[in-house]
Amino acid sequence: MEFDDVQRIWDTQNSMPLYAINEEALHRRILAKKKKARHITNISELLLIIVNLGAGILILGINFSEPTGNIFMYLMAAWMFGTSLYLTVSRIRRISGDGRFDRSMHGDLRHAISVATYQIRLSQLMRWNTLPIATLCLLGLWQSGKPIWVVGLIVLFFALSYYVGGWEHNIYKARKGELEIIQKKLESEDLTDNRSM
Amino acid sequence: MTKKEQKQIFEMWLGQHKGLLFKVVRAYAISTLDQDDLFQEIIIQVWRSVPSFRQEASVTTWLYRISLNTAIKWKKKEQKNYPGETLDDVQQVLHESGTPRDERLDWLYEEIYKLDEIDRSVTLLLLAGFSYKEMAALMGITESNVGVKINRIKKQLITKSKKYDNHGI
Repeated sequence: MEFDDVQRIWDTQNSMPLYAINEEALHRRILAKKKKARHITNISELLLIIVNLGAGILILGINFSEPTGNIFMYLMAAWMFGTSLYLTVSRIRRISGDGRFDRSMHGDLRHAISVATYQIRLSQLMRWNTLPIATLCLLGLWQSGKPIWVVGLIVLFFALSYYVGGWEHNIYKARKGELEIIQKKLESEDLTDNRSM
Repeated sequence: MTKKEQKQIFEMWLGQHKGLLFKVVRAYAISTLDQDDLFQEIIIQVWRSVPSFRQEASVTTWLYRISLNTAIKWKKKEQKNYPGETLDDVQQVLHESGTPRDERLDWLYEEIYKLDEIDRSVTLLLLAGFSYKEMAALMGITESNVGVKINRIKKQLITKSKKYDNHGI
């Protein structure tokens, strides 16, 4: 066999349909992705609600047990209660909206994308939420006259939280991107056709 | 570029050049599961690449660049499974159509797969009809280096093909 023969063998595949999509398997993969997205969202929401509520109660408790007259600490507790309330309302609305997606492959995919979009919004909001909390915390420290190294440590902590929040946010965005690619493939007619090499 | 334009271009590319992507997938991944994984990765990269396409190169050249780079990176990562998914979930998404397989083509893919990652890319580009100059630009190596590699690959494939013919497969 010469190289021209090798080339001819290679060229035979140009008119040969070799692969087709196994839609059942694709649907299962979409369901797995949806399940994963919902699980992560569920855990994130619950954790954020509990943490914000717990932190708010703790700050308020400290302020009441040892009154210092530090207004910023009260404001921070109020902000955290507000955040917790907002997250709870969002969670209820998200869960009640789950029923609007049908159980077809397209429906499940739209649902998975919707959950991923929600998760992205949530992670972005929580990242921005670091800023008012950090501001109130620093103002509280300033009012109570804490040493500069304590303030420095707190700034470092919030900066790190903000950075990690961005990293987490990008992971969610990438996951949503993958789902959108599948959706685009499904929307194109090619998916249902046999694929030719 | 708007999302709508990006989508239109992406769908057009996928419709017209999907064969090219499958060739790369098959040359870099053996199991159907790995082929699914790599195909998905390439599709994602192609989608992301649409806004950067400046028409300085042909679409085919652009897609080869994207898919080969993705395949080489994917190969290095050696992703073998989908984390968090059960065995049922990872059932093959791509399955063979009813068309009878060409054993000679299977043999050719096997031989291409035995080459190292760079030679594999060179072979795919050679078989796709790219010139030495285009291959050099795509691979980021000199034309003379491409020539050396191609001579070696051709010799290797011809030698292997003779063994294949002698075994009467």
